[in-house]
Amino acid sequence: MIAVFAITQERFFTIDNLSALLNSSSILWVTSMGLTFVMLAGGFDLSVGSTLALTSIAMGWFMNDAGMSVGLAIPLTVLLGTVLGAVVNGIPIGKFQLSFLVVTLGSLTLFKGITLGWSQSKTTQINSKFLDDLAYGKQWVIPNQVIVMILVYLMMLYVQKFTFFGRDIYAIGGNADAARLSGIRTSATLITVYAICAGLAGLAGVIQDARIGAASPQVGENLVFQATAAVLLGGTSFSGGIGGVSGTVVGVLFLATLQNGLSVAGFPNFWQQIITGGILIGAIALDYVQRKRNTQSRRKKN
Amino acid sequence: MSVGERDSHSTVQGESSADTIVLSARNVEKSYGGVQALKGVGFDLRAGEVHGLCGENGSGKSTLLKIISGQITSDAGRVELYGEEVSFKSPVESLAFGIKAVTQERTLVPSLSVAENVFLGHQKSRKWYGVDWKVTKARAKEVLDRLGCDVDVEAIVSDLAPGDAQMVEIARAICTETKVLILDEPTSSLTAHEVSILFKSIRNLSAQGVATVFISHRMEEIFEICDRLTVLRDGGGVSADVISNYTEEKLISDMTGKAFSLSDHESVQAESREVALRVEALSLPFRFQDVNLNLQAGEILGIIGLVGAGHSELLESIFGLHAEVSGEVLIHGRKHRISSPRLAMKAGLAFVPADRKRHGLVLDMSVFENAIMASTAKFFRLITPKPAKEARFVDECVADFGITMASVDANVSSLSGGNQQKVLLTKWLGTKPKVLLLDEPTRGVDVGAKAEIYRILQEQRAKGLSILVSSSEVPELLILCDRILVMHRGRIVADLKSEHANETNLVAFAMGQGMSGKVQE
Repeated sequence: MIAVFAITQERFFTIDNLSALLNSSSILWVTSMGLTFVMLAGGFDLSVGSTLALTSIAMGWFMNDAGMSVGLAIPLTVLLGTVLGAVVNGIPIGKFQLSFLVVTLGSLTLFKGITLGWSQSKTTQINSKFLDDLAYGKQWVIPNQVIVMILVYLMMLYVQKFTFFGRDIYAIGGNADAARLSGIRTSATLITVYAICAGLAGLAGVIQDARIGAASPQVGENLVFQATAAVLLGGTSFSGGIGGVSGTVVGVLFLATLQNGLSVAGFPNFWQQIITGGILIGAIALDYVQRKRNTQSRRKKN
Repeated sequence: MSVGERDSHSTVQGESSADTIVLSARNVEKSYGGVQALKGVGFDLRAGEVHGLCGENGSGKSTLLKIISGQITSDAGRVELYGEEVSFKSPVESLAFGIKAVTQERTLVPSLSVAENVFLGHQKSRKWYGVDWKVTKARAKEVLDRLGCDVDVEAIVSDLAPGDAQMVEIARAICTETKVLILDEPTSSLTAHEVSILFKSIRNLSAQGVATVFISHRMEEIFEICDRLTVLRDGGGVSADVISNYTEEKLISDMTGKAFSLSDHESVQAESREVALRVEALSLPFRFQDVNLNLQAGEILGIIGLVGAGHSELLESIFGLHAEVSGEVLIHGRKHRISSPRLAMKAGLAFVPADRKRHGLVLDMSVFENAIMASTAKFFRLITPKPAKEARFVDECVADFGITMASVDANVSSLSGGNQQKVLLTKWLGTKPKVLLLDEPTRGVDVGAKAEIYRILQEQRAKGLSILVSSSEVPELLILCDRILVMHRGRIVADLKSEHANETNLVAFAMGQGMSGKVQE
């Protein structure tokens, strides 16, 4: 697809365009990383978009109303996301085994309401050199946002591949009963996973504020759908146990490229959604066919 | 026994129908691959009788029933209904002929009412505006009355006691014309009181001319309710006669093929050695009551039980999987409050569950990851899992146990059943347990791997591990164990040293033989 766009649209394959492409996908990237862990563990988080909005507003409040410095506000915002994820999503789902669909739907609505109330539906400007730098600055040629993206990816990759915690996530997603019977702490792991997801949504909220230089309650409306599409297109299975953050990178880049390419070529916005939706359905169908072939060959062997 | 009301559903006359043969099977054969499940079996079912079908696992009982109820077709032989040959190509056909089967699985919809469940899938009375609930409920009540059951037709099934739910299952089976009713282990989850109510219903149906095939492994029930018996063994018919010509001993020896002698009853007190696992007054509501057992250090103790005996649940409870269990568990003399697998592991227990695909292995992961899952569960979660010590242990086990696979990094789902079971053994032995619990250790495992697994367990015993094995396969426990406990209906009914145990007396105890007499510890 990249080839298609590169060939047909001259303006696509320039450094400017490509860094704009990566920059524009930073929020989706960071959020999708967190969502990947949740889906690997066999769960799902509908509330990421609302968490983004809530933490955006919180950031604005920390900076403006509470007069905090950036150095304090950013960690606090991420912490807020993490705690919300752990308490509102993680504990009901991980400890009490409530349905992840219902719980995260509830938190989605809850966070949205809090966001609107807290911000009084108003967008407030944030003046911060640091944030402006974050959004528009570069280290040599690499934009700061991209540096953040890469750091997040490397951290998540490390946890996923090189820690017991990461392996626990795969075990729980693959067979939660067997994991529990092996002595793995399934509830603690699930709570942590939802905490991480919301924490990264919080980080995305900071980036969001940096990009528009303001805290707005209207953000994150479509985020959960895009993030889900990115994770699934990247090869992570909805039922858990298979996939990973590296696949999500591919998924995010694919969506970003699609959007960028289409807009550079002059297509109206809705085409992106139509094509993404079509590809997603196709990918799921392919996944289903592959799984059936796998279980059939397993059955033959046993 | 009162003669039930004759309704339009029964087509047979009363007492004089005792000699009318409703269903008969002649020389029925069936093979699966190279294995012959049925080698020319005959079976005669008379109207209005309760006919017990007895046989051990592998006797061909379930195969015969599946042929009669249309689930599979026979390779040879004749099945006749009222003298006319029939050949069922699907269960729907046998249903149409009036052959109904009630199995152990619940086929009711828990959130719907009794009346709706009775007519599930059948035409409910309709009026112009849709379902006529008044008539439906009345008809449901009629069917339940035929059984002599007074369950409220408007009650929701999930609120019912198991005995009442069982009644609704049977009601559903007989709500359309029934000539033959097959009841497969109908009493496995019923209380004694519920069983007597069930038997009353069965007698009601007999009086209405329905012929019942009754499968149970509980001696006391067989002799109470059945009029005739047919005994199968190894795919062949051994005997078929009226119940009065059977004694408990004859039934057992027909089923096992070995002579039965009274002196096999002996229960011997084990010598005193250090006790590795001690269970006191362990009870799990509806599953087992007041279980006491001592597992000595370096001993392999077996527990045998048939369906509903509670032996699997006993092991699960010791490992902390059932919250409602009461009683004490002591490991090497120390009391432990075990309420989760983690605590069980801390106390020194290891558990290989019966269903390895659902509870034992994560099929998407590699052999290596599965093999180290339990032994690394207690490590700090943020360090890197390439544990050298554990890896060496896994390699040793792979060599020792003879695990055949592409490599330790191969997906565990690509291994055969026997090799998967060996991976599970590796996994649990890696935790250096004090007591190893195994539930159905060789289920779905080929003969060669079975022998290897027995060898592995015996080697571990020689190294001092204490092992508790639960199984429903008698020969397995005879090979493996030093001592065997038998459970029947949630209680331990026998404790035999291996030299005194044989297939006959184990089966006898598992079936509840001698229950009216002493209940041994």
